[in-house]
Amino acid sequence: MITMQEIRLDFQRDRLANGLKILTLEDHSHPIVSYQVHFATGSRNERPGITGISHLFEHMMFRGSKELGPEEFARIIQANGGTLNAFTTVDNTTYFENLPADKLELAIRLEAERLENLRLTQENLDTEREVVRSERKLRVVNSPFGLLIEQLFAIAFDQHPYQWPVIGWDHDLRRLTLDDCLEYYRRGYAPNNAVVVVIGDFRTEEALTLIEKYYGHLKPQAPIDAVPAQEKPQRGERRSIYKKVSQLEAFFAGFHVPGIRDPEIFPLLVLSHILSQGRSSRFYLRFVKTGKAVEAKVEAEPPPFWPMDPGLLQVYAIAAPGVKIGELEKEIWDAIDEIKEGEFEEAELAKAKRGLEASFVMGLQSIFFKGLAGGLYEIKAGDWGMVNKLLKGYEGVTKEDVQRVAQKYLSEDNRTVVTLKPISPQENELLGPME
Amino acid sequence: MFPLQPKDIKKIRLSNGLTIMGLEYHKLPLAHITLMIKRGAERDPEGKEGLADLTAEMLTLGTEHRDSQRLALEMEKLGARYSASSGWDASFLEALGLSEDFKALTELLGDMLLRPIFAQHEMKQSQQRRISRLIQQRDQAEVIADEMIVQYLLTGTPYAHPTYGTISSLQEMREEDPKSFYLRHYCPKDTVVLAIGDLNFEEVREHIKGLLGEWKSEGASNDPLPTPVRPHGRRIIVVNRPDLTQSQIRLGSLGIERRDDRYIPFKVMNYIFGGGGFSSRLMQRVRAEKGYTYGITSSFKASHIAGPFVISTFTPTANTISVIEEILKLMEEFANGGIKTQELEEAKNYFIGSFPLKLETPGQMAREILELELYDIPFDYLSRYQEAVKGVTLEEINNLARSYLHPEDLIIVVVGRAEDFLEPLRNWGEVELIEYSEVTRVPPPSTPPNTHLPPGGHTVSPSPGGVLE
Repeated sequence: MITMQEIRLDFQRDRLANGLKILTLEDHSHPIVSYQVHFATGSRNERPGITGISHLFEHMMFRGSKELGPEEFARIIQANGGTLNAFTTVDNTTYFENLPADKLELAIRLEAERLENLRLTQENLDTEREVVRSERKLRVVNSPFGLLIEQLFAIAFDQHPYQWPVIGWDHDLRRLTLDDCLEYYRRGYAPNNAVVVVIGDFRTEEALTLIEKYYGHLKPQAPIDAVPAQEKPQRGERRSIYKKVSQLEAFFAGFHVPGIRDPEIFPLLVLSHILSQGRSSRFYLRFVKTGKAVEAKVEAEPPPFWPMDPGLLQVYAIAAPGVKIGELEKEIWDAIDEIKEGEFEEAELAKAKRGLEASFVMGLQSIFFKGLAGGLYEIKAGDWGMVNKLLKGYEGVTKEDVQRVAQKYLSEDNRTVVTLKPISPQENELLGPME
Repeated sequence: MFPLQPKDIKKIRLSNGLTIMGLEYHKLPLAHITLMIKRGAERDPEGKEGLADLTAEMLTLGTEHRDSQRLALEMEKLGARYSASSGWDASFLEALGLSEDFKALTELLGDMLLRPIFAQHEMKQSQQRRISRLIQQRDQAEVIADEMIVQYLLTGTPYAHPTYGTISSLQEMREEDPKSFYLRHYCPKDTVVLAIGDLNFEEVREHIKGLLGEWKSEGASNDPLPTPVRPHGRRIIVVNRPDLTQSQIRLGSLGIERRDDRYIPFKVMNYIFGGGGFSSRLMQRVRAEKGYTYGITSSFKASHIAGPFVISTFTPTANTISVIEEILKLMEEFANGGIKTQELEEAKNYFIGSFPLKLETPGQMAREILELELYDIPFDYLSRYQEAVKGVTLEEINNLARSYLHPEDLIIVVVGRAEDFLEPLRNWGEVELIEYSEVTRVPPPSTPPNTHLPPGGHTVSPSPGGVLE
């Protein structure tokens, strides 16, 4: 039996001469391996005019290379018993294959091949552009709250690239050119801008040899530009209304909070947990259980998913039928004020810490998520080892810390609120098309 | 740990009929505990759809010793997650926590299972929460499309409604309903406890025996389930929602039962046709070649009855007709032209190779083991699975495709801006047009011969602006 305190992820870090970073961690308990390639480029590395290119480019990586036809990459991995996918966030673009242990070389070879020999054609771009526009309609335009959340970030940030959505604005998706893609590829997809993770049932020496064999000859590129924009402290609340056809009223709010390297994220996560995690949390008991809100949540992604640069801690609520959104919003701010006043128990603090610690252990059940933890910390903070400091980070949080971060970050001046106002289909037509 | 051998899954039956199963897992200090009751939403009484699921939640909302808040607090102060719900054919009460808390977790679950009090105020609140959630869910066209295709396909069976019920059925529930469902359907002989984790099975067994060994309840006998009737001819239902910029499209028929010997070949067939992501014909044609959609898939749900076998996709409104046309063409090609040897080999290699990926975590293992237990399939399914996949033949797949993919016999549901595609749709068959705001007033689908009436229609219609009348 191992105890929670003994849990550690001991990645080994190596680096090829061209700058490619490699994290390896053997685990022979199950005959599978996860191969992950994380690029340190996401929507924070875009600029107006090319928003959405990181994600569109992620799609292009499946559209063929010198060796492979469109979508053949996926077909081959699956035909070898693997599963695969990719995802783009504000900070990174990640490709992964989870495979039977004896297929590791296939993943290494194919990932290196498409990195080197991607076939970018106008025809592929045009097809994939439409696929992504369909994805945007699915995830954002026709989803109940997608456009509200876009508006929240667009208003809360006026300097930093977190102001635009990862999927991009539709007008940029329509105009992106092949040259934009080539430029993005050259800058972002260099070995010195990537971290490779191998985790599972494999031998480190063999994996390192294979990675050297397939990636070693790639040339490094000039480092990607730093993101210069820094959001200035918000000086006063920002508010807006979004009208759409909807059954219920809702609001989405955001408070500027520090990035992943800042230890302030631990008390912020504990605070979020106390407020809204689980059926014994304050928001659940006060708003959801009693039927005032369909949902009332504080949204904080625990590391390694917490954003790299200062981002938003989101608070949102969907009002139950007949409940006025303004009143619900006020009650939610009152509930947060109680924390600022220190009106909460040590037992709630202990429960939140235990909950966060247990969640961390639960997250280690699959090698895939263990790999992500190392890889994303390395990308976002330059140090995979921070993953082993998480349990201590939670453990150290005191009641005063929680009270202090509530006062410091969850203030009215630091707040942006977007309210959903339901309208009829007729009024919706008058307001013009959504995209 | 892999491959899982039947002998690794410990199983005993107590004198009251309760089954205890255990699987040791020592990688992390975790315990995953499931109580499965082999009766689910198919036992919802007519007009009270969603009762099984509500009953399951009521177990977590107060016992003789603890009120709902205390139950939540005692679970969550251990850092555990827990849930209670009903699906098709079974209801589940489960918890995931640290293995050092195994006894406390099972004590709480046992208390919920044996001593629920079904307090009236909790029942009212839960009813209201569920109704509000369903009202909110009505903004999601994909959910409406999913619900409608199942409703039309399984009409005449108790599987035609969403497991979570409808707004009107939830409004119909009375205080005594969950308790009578509980008394009728929760009994030790139909209950299985499965514990997977950093545990010792002897201790698990003794502990569970102490908690649940004295439980006595007979439970009512189950009525036999009717057999659904496969659609003959095409039936097209359009739900008009002019504010959508993208159409939700479903085309469906029926698949097979879980115990069918052709279950594994059916999975392989579905993978090649539409279940295999970029390896599937649907995705290859409709997304990769045409760029019509971000996603298209086919899936089937096999339970005690032959459940839905459905193609699901969405596309910007202007492509609606082209997408349906491609799908019908692909069905025809697949059924008439058969599959290639290479497609079969690749599909088989996928299922063989990815099998360990599906049995990595305690939750994944629990799902597989409980499914076998529920449908009375021997556990050596797990050790023989890869061989069974290897044995699937081209002929089996082609036979299945011919029997199950009929472009002429389909229910088609489209939710979207009707004026942009209604007329051309009529070329494929008779179209029923329904306004989105009136989805509730959809008359129940006509009754196929020899089956009883389906459960009532959808949900009540809120007025514009979302205020419930």
